[in-house]
Amino acid sequence: MSSELFEQAARSVVDADVEEAKKLANQALEEDIPPLEMIEEGFTSGIVEVGRLFDRGELFLPQLMGCAEAMKEASGILKEAAAAAGEETAEDIEIVLGTVEGDVHDIGKGIVASILEANGIKVHDLGTDVPTNEFIEKAKEVDADVIGTSALLTTTMGANEDLIKTLEEENLRDRFKVVVGGGPVTERWADKIDADGYAENANEAVRVIQDLAN
Amino acid sequence: MVQTRMGDGMKIEMSEDEIREDIVRGVEDAVDRAKIDTLPQEEIDYLTDLYTRPSKFVSVEPGNEVVLTFDEGSVKLKRLVISIGRIPDLQIYERVFCSDTAELAHVDYSFKPVKPIIAEEQIEMEQALLSTILPLYYGAMPNLSLYSQPDGEFPNPAELLPKGKIDEAQKAYEGMIEHGIKDMVFVSSKMYEAGADGINFDTTGSAGEPDFLAALRATEKLKEKYPDISIEMGMSNEFVLGMHGDLEYEGTNLAGLYPHEQVKMAEKAGVDVFGPVVNINSSESIPWNIGRTVAMMKACAEEADIPVHANVGMGVGGVPIVETPPADSLCRASVALAEIGKQDGL
Repeated sequence: MSSELFEQAARSVVDADVEEAKKLANQALEEDIPPLEMIEEGFTSGIVEVGRLFDRGELFLPQLMGCAEAMKEASGILKEAAAAAGEETAEDIEIVLGTVEGDVHDIGKGIVASILEANGIKVHDLGTDVPTNEFIEKAKEVDADVIGTSALLTTTMGANEDLIKTLEEENLRDRFKVVVGGGPVTERWADKIDADGYAENANEAVRVIQDLAN
Repeated sequence: MVQTRMGDGMKIEMSEDEIREDIVRGVEDAVDRAKIDTLPQEEIDYLTDLYTRPSKFVSVEPGNEVVLTFDEGSVKLKRLVISIGRIPDLQIYERVFCSDTAELAHVDYSFKPVKPIIAEEQIEMEQALLSTILPLYYGAMPNLSLYSQPDGEFPNPAELLPKGKIDEAQKAYEGMIEHGIKDMVFVSSKMYEAGADGINFDTTGSAGEPDFLAALRATEKLKEKYPDISIEMGMSNEFVLGMHGDLEYEGTNLAGLYPHEQVKMAEKAGVDVFGPVVNINSSESIPWNIGRTVAMMKACAEEADIPVHANVGMGVGGVPIVETPPADSLCRASVALAEIGKQDGL
């Protein structure tokens, strides 16, 4: 029963049970469940629930890291099998992520990085107080698909606009998608500055980035 | 149609029914998250009336006025690019803004950086006391992040946790707590001895529950040392972020506590005035945000045995997240919190 296995997979992630998650991933392969279906219907449902619980203060950072690890290990097994079968996976997506210049808020951005990685997206985390040119240079260096920025202050969110303008000036606007987030940032602001996407939380960031990259 | 705003301050128009629906949705969100009681229908009606009145400015009925307490007061006017010293700033709060208490603060606004300049701060406090009559606090943030690398000696938990080094991260937090307590008690003692009427631990919990625990323990120590000292504790977030995960105070795990639970911890430690926070969601309307804010603040006030002064300002307490809060939202949030949120002060 694949639905039962999906539920167990989701539960293993919520419980941060790395060994159980790995065991279920291997079991899915033995039972010929398509690897990407097992990731999406099982483990991803678990990590979405983890994000929801964290957002409500019902799950804490150390546990969240354990959940992300369980997700990462299990999806690693399944992705390897998917790649062997010639299926395209999220691992092909690369993002350069950081908190904009003048802003040292790290917690939210770090959580987004963990959840993105748990979902198989390769993250180049530049940390906090990142100047616009560093985002662009790193994105060029690793040939990123997406540049993701976090701004927690009304006084620093303008750096997102600078990033998009600089990308336009350097004729790089079509090369990288830009996704913005952070407390004062809204979808309207993202539309206004011509960003490609906006995410209110880590789960939404995964969805938006996967949609943009595919 | 009535003019109101989104959480990011943008002006929008909504019908009375839409405003009522958003207030109800906001209350429901608060009830669901914080596991508190909902608001009765007459209070929803009151909030709907408050947020559909066409007047730009509203106020409370005579007799329902509340105490106005300002944190970080002595450095806020500078942010408006007004060339002003800290003492004239406090005098303006006292004599122009009619503040009931004020707070001397250093621009770094954390206990750790005040340590080496404590003698200068004591002189400033003495001078401020001589030129004002309102109760004067000294305030700063516990800001436990300053005790980890690169600013402090402990390994940075933000780097350890993603590597799965949970035990090491927790140990780092535990060391940071001890250093934080030491600095909070040192600075607070010196400022109290210089004449401060009290101490404000502001933006408590910004580095998660280790930060909250450090402030609670520092309060205990200060109360033991100076039984008459007044301690105010303002929060940084509507729930205590769980960065360590296993820290308890008096048998209660601090991570994930909402305002009505936080205030009980503060009381146990000896806090005299508690300042709860409910954050703004910038993607929702102000009516949604106020429904949510009032429900959580009311639950906190009802649970409290000490005065509760809600944080009301940029991005908290039903006020949009903009640098200069718009008067229409600020006055409505103030009235809602005084009349329905049962706050003793703002």
